[in-house]
Amino acid sequence: MKSSNGNGNDGMGAWAKWPEALIDESFAHARRWARLPFLYQRAQRIRKGATPSRVVYEEDRVKLLHYPAPDGPRFATPLVFVFALVNRPYILDLKADRSVVGHFVRRGFDTYLVDWGIPTDTDRRLTLNDHINGYLARAIDFVRQRAGSPKVSILGYCMGGTMSAIFTALHPERVKNLILLAAGIDFATREGLLNLWTRPEYFDVDRFVDAFGNCPAGFLQASFLLLKPVQNLIEKPIAFFERLDDDDAMDDFLTMETWLNDNIPVPGEVYREFVKSLYQQNLLIQNRLTLGDRTVDLRQITCPVLNIMARNDDLVPCAQSLTFNDAVGSPDRKAIVLPAGHIGLAVGGRAQREVWPQACDWLAERS
Amino acid sequence: MNNPSPGPETAADQWSAFQRVWTETLAKMMQAGFTTPDAAPPEFVRQLRTGIFQALAQSWDQFLRSPQFLEGMKQWMDSAVAFREMSNEFLTRARQASHLPGQDDIENVLNAVGKAEARLLERIETLAVQVKAMEQRLADRDAGAAAPAAKPKDARRRVRRAPS
Repeated sequence: MKSSNGNGNDGMGAWAKWPEALIDESFAHARRWARLPFLYQRAQRIRKGATPSRVVYEEDRVKLLHYPAPDGPRFATPLVFVFALVNRPYILDLKADRSVVGHFVRRGFDTYLVDWGIPTDTDRRLTLNDHINGYLARAIDFVRQRAGSPKVSILGYCMGGTMSAIFTALHPERVKNLILLAAGIDFATREGLLNLWTRPEYFDVDRFVDAFGNCPAGFLQASFLLLKPVQNLIEKPIAFFERLDDDDAMDDFLTMETWLNDNIPVPGEVYREFVKSLYQQNLLIQNRLTLGDRTVDLRQITCPVLNIMARNDDLVPCAQSLTFNDAVGSPDRKAIVLPAGHIGLAVGGRAQREVWPQACDWLAERS
Repeated sequence: MNNPSPGPETAADQWSAFQRVWTETLAKMMQAGFTTPDAAPPEFVRQLRTGIFQALAQSWDQFLRSPQFLEGMKQWMDSAVAFREMSNEFLTRARQASHLPGQDDIENVLNAVGKAEARLLERIETLAVQVKAMEQRLADRDAGAAAPAAKPKDARRRVRRAPS
C-alpha cells in the first residue's frame, strides 16, 4: 500500500479532498440535469450537411449533389464522392469544421456526391450491378458531360469505397484518380467481428433476405452497436452526461448521434451479394467477382490510387483494405494508416488536421 | 485478435479466458480500492472507471467471438427469420381472405413491370442500333453522291484554268 505520491501529497491529504470533490460533482450534476429538458429542442436544430449544395441529377431515389467551389473550379477533373448504402452520406459533410467535402471544395475541386437515397420495398431486387453499372455509371457520365472532362476522380467511403473500386476496375477509362476511405476489399481476415458473424455456418443470408426483403435498418444498427457494446452502451451515455454542460461537446455529440441513428435499409439483393460474394466467398480480391456479364479484375485499375485506412477500425479492419494496393495494376499508389476508428477517419480532429489536407494535395497534383 | 474463431473443442479455453479477464477486472477494482489515490478524487475515479471499462470491453470482445455466442446468435437469427416467415404467410393469407393485395401480389406486379421494362429496353436498344445503322448508310450514300459530283467541278476548274 502506497503512503505517498510523487507530488509530495500524502495519501491522507488526497483522501481529504473527497468531501470537497463530492460537493463539486453534486453541483455539476445539478447543472447537467437542469440542461436535460432542453436537449430535445437542441437536437431538433441539428443540420444535416454543412457545405452549400444543390441536386443536379436524379434517377429514381438516387440524387447527385453538386458542391460548387467558392471561386470556381481550379482543377479540370471533377471529384465524385461515393458513400455506402448503409447510412446517409452527410457524415462526409457533418459540420463546417468537420467536413471532408468542405476540404476539397475550399481547395477548388468541382465536387459531387452520390446520395443513394432511402430504398423502399420495391428496391429489394436491385443488385450491385444495378447500382454500380447502372446508377453510379450514369451519374458519373452526367458529371463527365457537365464538367466537360473525359474522366473523374472518385472518393469512396466504406461500402462506397468497395463499390468505387469495382466501378474503376470495370470502367478504368472513366476514372482519373481513386481514393478509398476504409474500404473493404479483402475479406479473408477474421479480425473483424462482422467477418466472424457472417460466416456461412452462422448466418444464412439467403433465408434472411427471402424473409425480410431489404435488410432492416434496425438490424444493421444493432449489429454495429454490438461491435463495441461496452463503449456504445455504457461509456458513451456516461460521457454524454458528463459533457451536458459543455455546449460545443453537446453539439458534436448530437450531430454525430443524429447521423449514427439515421440508418437506412439496404436493398435485399445488394445485401445478399455483399455478404455472400464478399464476406463469405471473398471473390473481389481473387478477381472472381462477377457483375452482370463481366468479371471484376482489380488489375485493370491503373489510375493513381490513395488508400486511407483506420488502425482502430472495428467495422472495416485495416487488414481488409491493406492488400488492395498490391492487387491493383497502378504504378502510382499510396497508403495512409491513421490511428483512428471508422468514423474518426472522416470526422476526427486528427483526420481533419492531417489526413484531408494531405489527400487534397495528393489529388491536386493529379487533377 | 487475429485468430479465427475457435472451434467448440476450445470452449473450455474460451471460458477460462473469459474467467481470467473477469478476475483481472476484479483485481484492478480491488487494487484501486486499497491504493491511496495519486490524483485528485474526480480524476482518480475516472481513471478507475476507464480501467474497469477497458477490462470489461476486452472480456466482451472475447465473448462475442466465442462459439457459445455465435451459436446463440445463430439460434436467435433462425427464430427471428422463422417468425418473419410465419408473419409474412399469415398476413398474405389474411389479405387474400379480405380480397386485398398481399405481398405476393405486389411481388408479381413488380416482376411483371420489371420484365416489361427489360423487354422495352431491349427493344429500344435494338431500334437504336437499327437507327444508327440507317444513319450510317444515309451518311455513306450522301458521301458517295457528293464525291462523284466533286470530280466534274474540279475538272471544270482545271479546264477553265488551262486557257488562262
